[in-house]
Amino acid sequence: MSTARGPVRGGPEVVRHVVLGLLSLLFLLPFYVVVRNALASPAELVSASWVWWPADPSLANLRRLFADENVQFARSLLNSAVVSVLQTVLTVAVSAMAGYGLARVPSRWSRVVLGMTVLTLMVPTTVTFVPTFVMVSSLGWISTLRGLVVPVLFSAFATFLFRQFFSGFPVELEEAAALDGAGRWRTFTRVVLPNAWGICAAVGTITFLNAWNSFLWPLLIGQDPAYRTVQVALSAYTSSQRVDTAQVFMGSAVAILPVLVVFVVLQRQLVQGVERSGID
Amino acid sequence: MGIPPARPALPRRRFLTGLGATALALGAGTGLAGCGSNTGRPSGGASSSAPAGTSDGPRPAVSQWYHEYGEDGVEAAVKRYAAAYEQASVSVRWNPGDYDKLASASLLTADVPDVFEYGNGPTLDMIRAGQVLDLTDVVGDAASQFSKPVLDAMSWEGRIYAVPQTVDMQLLFYRRSVLEKAGVAPPTTLAELTAAAKAVTTKDMGGFFAGNDGGVATLASMLVWAAGKEQLNAGSSGIGFDDADGYAAFAAYRDLATSGGLVRSASADWFDAAPLTNGETAMQWTGLWTLPDVQDKLGDDFGVVPFPAVGANGRPAVPFGSYGSIVAAKGKDPDAAKAFVRWLWVENEADQVDFSNSYGTHIPAKPALVPQATKIATGAGAEAARFVNELGHAPSKLWTPATSNALTAALTRVVTKNADPRTEIGQVAATARTEIARAKG
Amino acid sequence: MSTAAPTRTGAARRRGPQDRQRSRARTRSDLRWFWVFCGPFVLGLVVFVYVPVLWSVYLSFFDARNTVTPTTFVGLDNYAYLLTNRAFLVSMGTFVVFAVLIVPTTFALSLGLALLVWRARFAAAFFRSAFFLPTACSYVVAALVWRLSIFNGARFGLVNAGLRAVGLDPVAWLSGEHYLYWVVLVSLRLWLQAGFYMVLFLAGLQRIPTDTYEAAALDGATGWRTVRWITLPQLRATSVAVLLLLAIGAFQAFDEFYNTLVSVGSYPPYARPPLVYLYLVSLGQGTQDLGVGSAGTVILTIVVALLGALQLRILRPRKDEA
Repeated sequence: MSTARGPVRGGPEVVRHVVLGLLSLLFLLPFYVVVRNALASPAELVSASWVWWPADPSLANLRRLFADENVQFARSLLNSAVVSVLQTVLTVAVSAMAGYGLARVPSRWSRVVLGMTVLTLMVPTTVTFVPTFVMVSSLGWISTLRGLVVPVLFSAFATFLFRQFFSGFPVELEEAAALDGAGRWRTFTRVVLPNAWGICAAVGTITFLNAWNSFLWPLLIGQDPAYRTVQVALSAYTSSQRVDTAQVFMGSAVAILPVLVVFVVLQRQLVQGVERSGID
Repeated sequence: MGIPPARPALPRRRFLTGLGATALALGAGTGLAGCGSNTGRPSGGASSSAPAGTSDGPRPAVSQWYHEYGEDGVEAAVKRYAAAYEQASVSVRWNPGDYDKLASASLLTADVPDVFEYGNGPTLDMIRAGQVLDLTDVVGDAASQFSKPVLDAMSWEGRIYAVPQTVDMQLLFYRRSVLEKAGVAPPTTLAELTAAAKAVTTKDMGGFFAGNDGGVATLASMLVWAAGKEQLNAGSSGIGFDDADGYAAFAAYRDLATSGGLVRSASADWFDAAPLTNGETAMQWTGLWTLPDVQDKLGDDFGVVPFPAVGANGRPAVPFGSYGSIVAAKGKDPDAAKAFVRWLWVENEADQVDFSNSYGTHIPAKPALVPQATKIATGAGAEAARFVNELGHAPSKLWTPATSNALTAALTRVVTKNADPRTEIGQVAATARTEIARAKG
Repeated sequence: MSTAAPTRTGAARRRGPQDRQRSRARTRSDLRWFWVFCGPFVLGLVVFVYVPVLWSVYLSFFDARNTVTPTTFVGLDNYAYLLTNRAFLVSMGTFVVFAVLIVPTTFALSLGLALLVWRARFAAAFFRSAFFLPTACSYVVAALVWRLSIFNGARFGLVNAGLRAVGLDPVAWLSGEHYLYWVVLVSLRLWLQAGFYMVLFLAGLQRIPTDTYEAAALDGATGWRTVRWITLPQLRATSVAVLLLLAIGAFQAFDEFYNTLVSVGSYPPYARPPLVYLYLVSLGQGTQDLGVGSAGTVILTIVVALLGALQLRILRPRKDEA
């Protein structure tokens, strides 16, 4: 028997699937560890022999986590949610507009802006965190929502993706709209964007993931405990006097949950976004 | 927690210098009455007991930051002290996590705490950049009441920049029964410690623990002092341990680390007595603040010794230091902040004793108050106080964070990568010289 | 702008002054629209990327400790300090070691996973999801799991429990001895990244036209030989992209190093990649040397720009064709 992928053989297939199965177990192991630790009692966590599953799994750790006033975990979850959603929506908006402008609005400035974008692509903003921190701190934006969201909105990568996409967008649709009397803006919002749902979702999903999991920038900016994101709150345990390991893991479990949901629901978009990020 | 990983430097000073041991000798009652005029009631002066907000208009707002202490009850206590202050409305912020970085970064911004604590007062860079205020007037005449080395650690060029809150020290705890069973005496030299650690190590219990990094951050300076050296040389122009004794001390610690008796990793870090009380280790270098916890879990089955001597010229040593209360220059109302600091940490002796004694074990910054601290009156606490008096070492501003980091890095390399102590210490010497030149120039 | 404007009658006519006016108006309007669309993005780039970088170049020539408005000009001293500073040079070395360890292993693992999954007949979607799932996990959470539970140096860590079960002694993974922390850090990033790059390879595999395989099968090529001589060469572009992305990613390493190794107020002198070193010098560990931090930023920017330029040079021609 032969398929488009080549002939199928019995033995190697079994081996392949066994190997895949073992590897999957290995890859899912850390998630198991998080859940086990989140539900375990402090004694079970430090017991000499590995406890595979807590004898009495309870959500006591959950209650303690949210009750801890110093960590303000619920607040940090809220901060993460607000920051991530804002960052996603605004990044997509700004980059989609810029990408469209670069692709469809002729101007002698196009080359300059494209050059700037490419230049920024070459230097990831993580490397320039020191001066960006200095700039943001001079603006007085430390420990503010503005400071957490705005400086990281400007993604050269997203703009580039949108430019690529809009360059390949069927011109006829836009010309039809123009004939109907629509100006540039209406053409963009009424005709182009609704047909660009796929790329918007892809860019949005990746942006949301990055925003939720982001650490260095919120660490620098969100210094007031009331402005911490969930990643910074979790990290604080490592440099804290009291490492309540069970709380840390319960917190981790709670922190992973939203992104797992996004992942499951939007996996296809995520995969699309990832594919475009390498080559195109 | 008490002292941050030691950045200390001065020639060894006696804790009680400046007041004299005589004050203590006068005994509890009389000595206390003789020292200073304030007995802990809110200061008389201009800030009379008028209820807030009536005749003087709205109270100024003062923000105060603390780091997260490991002991229970501290947070409630400091908030209580702040609430009792009537001349301003003081809001306390309790900061878990990396406090040092948080505090120093905030000084760069507009979001500055009016009053904050920092280990051994502000760093030299903070002082020179004008980020903190001169508090010499705030302390005023009471300067002689404080332990001189502790206050000196917070001073620069004759001006005081922080008011000590309470004094912390570190020492070596050991399980009496475990050592007896192995037929080992409490160690007085590092060689004895190495042998003892190895002798008591079993499958379930290690010998000696001083931190998850192998003890290097907290013991680097201890090795210097225990070798009989000082951190800075006589003229304070460079380090004081760039010689055979220094190299030997580092090598001796490497021997301890590779002997099999050192516990490299435990369920908590060195400043928490859990590894000792959990039975993960027989000996642990930790802070005095854990004393109530150890007494609670181990009862009588423990003893304390200072860090053992190293080498022929060595002598046992303990570090001591203090978090100091600092007023930020860019705060909104520096005068109100200064007044609050004066009220709490200079005049309000009842709260000072409470802070030192009621949560964990610390030593009051004013030696005259020591008799009131019941936890250090007897037993291990009293021994600790004696160690500080006879064997204690306190820091100076010239031993900057950069130098301290260089020392830790050097010891780490000696222990983990088998580097040559002479080269490593030579590098520390170079860093220290640069730092001191920059500080003095 | 075409020179022959079709009219309703369909006949072309010549360009006249009205057309030139209209085209000037259109250019002006285009210019306006261009800035409407691109303005926010450009403004953001300028304010939050270009101005800070230029400011940091400026700061790098000053002695700026605990202040962002320094007054002491020191010329190239900060650069000289960094380029001769052992800690900085060691951090660059750490990056090289890390890249050498992580890039080939991730490449091999993700390619291997892609090849396995792509031809799997049962549950391919499940396997793909299982390997891709770690991408959802943040570096912080993964670092905590690795540090506190899997590679915990005490006897109750998962790996140590396993070692003890077979009679070996527990190992202190993060203590700095014998470079064992690399096992922790590399396995951590490998777990987090492999799925991501597997997806890239899968996309590349899907792009290979099936008739290539049919032709090869006709010629008798099967199994491993197909992979070696047909599949792999077709993946060259993807492979290059993956390698460069991995290298640049390794350069930006911060989150997992910081969270795996930091403890109260201190970070060990080993395993400091460039960004961690930069962070400790400019904003952490008791020193706030923004002059040196800025100089370091400039140096690191140049290095990563070179890597990025390399990436663009190799990949850009494809994109221009699109």
